[in-house]
Amino acid sequence: MSRIIACYKWVADEADLKINPDMSVDLSKAKGKISDYDKNAIEAAVQMAKITGDEAVTLTYGSKKAKLSLKDALSRGPAEGFWVNSEKAEQADGAASSKALAAAINKIGDYQLIICAEGASDTFARQVGPSVAARLGIPCVSSAIKLEFCENEVKVSRKLENGIEIVAAQLPAVVCILPEINRPPIPGLKAVLDAGKKPTREYKIEELGLVESDLSARTETIEFKAYVMNRKNIVLDGETAADQVKALVGSLKKEGII
Amino acid sequence: MPGIYVYSDNMKQAAALIGLAAQSGKEVCCITLDSNQANELKQYGPDRIIILNSHSPLPENYAGIIAELIKKEQGELFLAASTVRGRELAAKTAGYLDCGMVSDAESLVFEDERIISSRLMYGGSVVQKAVISQLAVVTVPADNLEAVKKENVQVSIVSLEVQADPRVRLIETLAGKKDKIDLAAAEKVVCVGMGLDKQEDMKMVEELAQVLGAEIACTRGIAEERQWLPVESYIGISGAKIKPSLYISMGVSGQVQHVVGIRDSKIITAVDTNEKAPIIRAADYSIIGDMYEIIPLLIEELKNA
Ligand SMILES: Cc1cc2nc3c(=O)[nH]c(=O)nc-3n(C[C@H](O)[C@H](O)[C@H](O)COP(=O)(O)OP(=O)(O)OC[C@H]3O[C@@H](n4cnc5c(N)ncnc54)[C@H](O)[C@@H]3O)c2cc1C
Repeated sequence: MSRIIACYKWVADEADLKINPDMSVDLSKAKGKISDYDKNAIEAAVQMAKITGDEAVTLTYGSKKAKLSLKDALSRGPAEGFWVNSEKAEQADGAASSKALAAAINKIGDYQLIICAEGASDTFARQVGPSVAARLGIPCVSSAIKLEFCENEVKVSRKLENGIEIVAAQLPAVVCILPEINRPPIPGLKAVLDAGKKPTREYKIEELGLVESDLSARTETIEFKAYVMNRKNIVLDGETAADQVKALVGSLKKEGII
Repeated sequence: MPGIYVYSDNMKQAAALIGLAAQSGKEVCCITLDSNQANELKQYGPDRIIILNSHSPLPENYAGIIAELIKKEQGELFLAASTVRGRELAAKTAGYLDCGMVSDAESLVFEDERIISSRLMYGGSVVQKAVISQLAVVTVPADNLEAVKKENVQVSIVSLEVQADPRVRLIETLAGKKDKIDLAAAEKVVCVGMGLDKQEDMKMVEELAQVLGAEIACTRGIAEERQWLPVESYIGISGAKIKPSLYISMGVSGQVQHVVGIRDSKIITAVDTNEKAPIIRAADYSIIGDMYEIIPLLIEELKNA
């Protein structure tokens, strides 16, 4: 039996993002969540492990805030949860995250498939999966919408701009999945209770042979500001729907659009 | 020979990247996998073109080779277009080079010894500006960038025999649908969201689009979950970006991941039952109402207009 590792990121929920009057962004009140598409990655790992008889496990790189994520992740079916705990994760970029994850994957060992989501809901940079593969020196397939094991390869259907492509990658490999790949169920009460009894493993970066400077961001952020969109914000009123529609068509005519 | 290396699997975008990289004033080296493409790309005036010759038809399998090349020549930047292939190739190259990467840069400003990049975060609600001052990889959405031909330029073209990574092999390519929709070029767009109850109701939306002379688009859920429209039809951070004179939404809540794709519209109009839906704040004109009542009225009114 070997492992299928789903990587996920514990992110600030964008719905809780507050914008200050000076357009700076306040994330201090934001609750954490497993990044949306990472739930699909975890579900894909659980499904694949069922077919192959492997063990699905999860891995995250996060600060102490991410401790909360372990139970949530395990309630989705995996057998064990791994967590690289470092405050450096708060300022991580794709280089740092992929470095921490690759080091942890080497430590966990005995894996045949790493599943990442295409991108995280905060940065949506879509870097980590391929970079992890490069750092581990194993193949990678991104934009995956279907996975199938055959012999010592994983067969992947990928979505490209102009159609679907089917490729096979030698195992072990990294695949980056799109959310269309599955529909993760909402964990039931029993799954949530069971999750509390599943083993978790915390790594400090030193155990992974890393030092803090390895995990510094390579680009320097100089501004982090809310996007401003100035629109007219006119709500058309009127006694009846027909009046509203008339007002709308009138406005569009005035704008010279129709 | 420090400089900027550019690559895209999309020829038009590769040509545009040459122009973008040239803004830096540094040497521009265009990488391609095909000698015919090299002849085409020559017209856009990069300083050099390197053709990588190997057996693999998958550009992603050349990441290790590109990383080696950039390391050997002490390149400063690898610039790739944000296509599916380009993103994967770029992120792998960054991993091999152990360097920083900026994905989907909306703008790049070349200064003396640094580059200022900006990109969107949190689905488009936040703009992050960052400074790149050492070796890095950057991807840019290049479908709207213009490529400019240059005349009488000297381009050195070198062909290298290389060994692409053989571990991912192509089995089959299934072509997409022929009726390609070009939302980016549409003058008017009617967009439907999950507020639409049944697939049959698309009829009413089609009629509205016809009267307006508009293309039909949708949110992610309509295309990916319900599959009522092809995936090329959805707008947003992971879908199409549009810039029509008129965008009109029906039953679209207007989450930022969608709205980011309509920001360049001249006029945004929304119809939604929920006055608190974010789309109302993102719109120029809106009607708080039921699209099932509004659309037939709107069709009539437009016919008479
Ligand atoms: C990383 C990431 C990337 C994403 N990328 C995209 C993307 O590229 N594109 C995209 O679209 N989404 C994207 N999403 C999803 C996005 O967050 C929203 O979930 C999605 O856009 C919502 O679609 P919707 O507005 O159709 O549905 P809903 O949010 O369900 O909204 C339906 C709306 O219809 C209204 N309504 C219901 N009935 C009626 C009626 N009879 N008449 C009028 N109004 C009615 C409701 O009031 C509501 O406002 C992404 C999400 C994530 C996490």
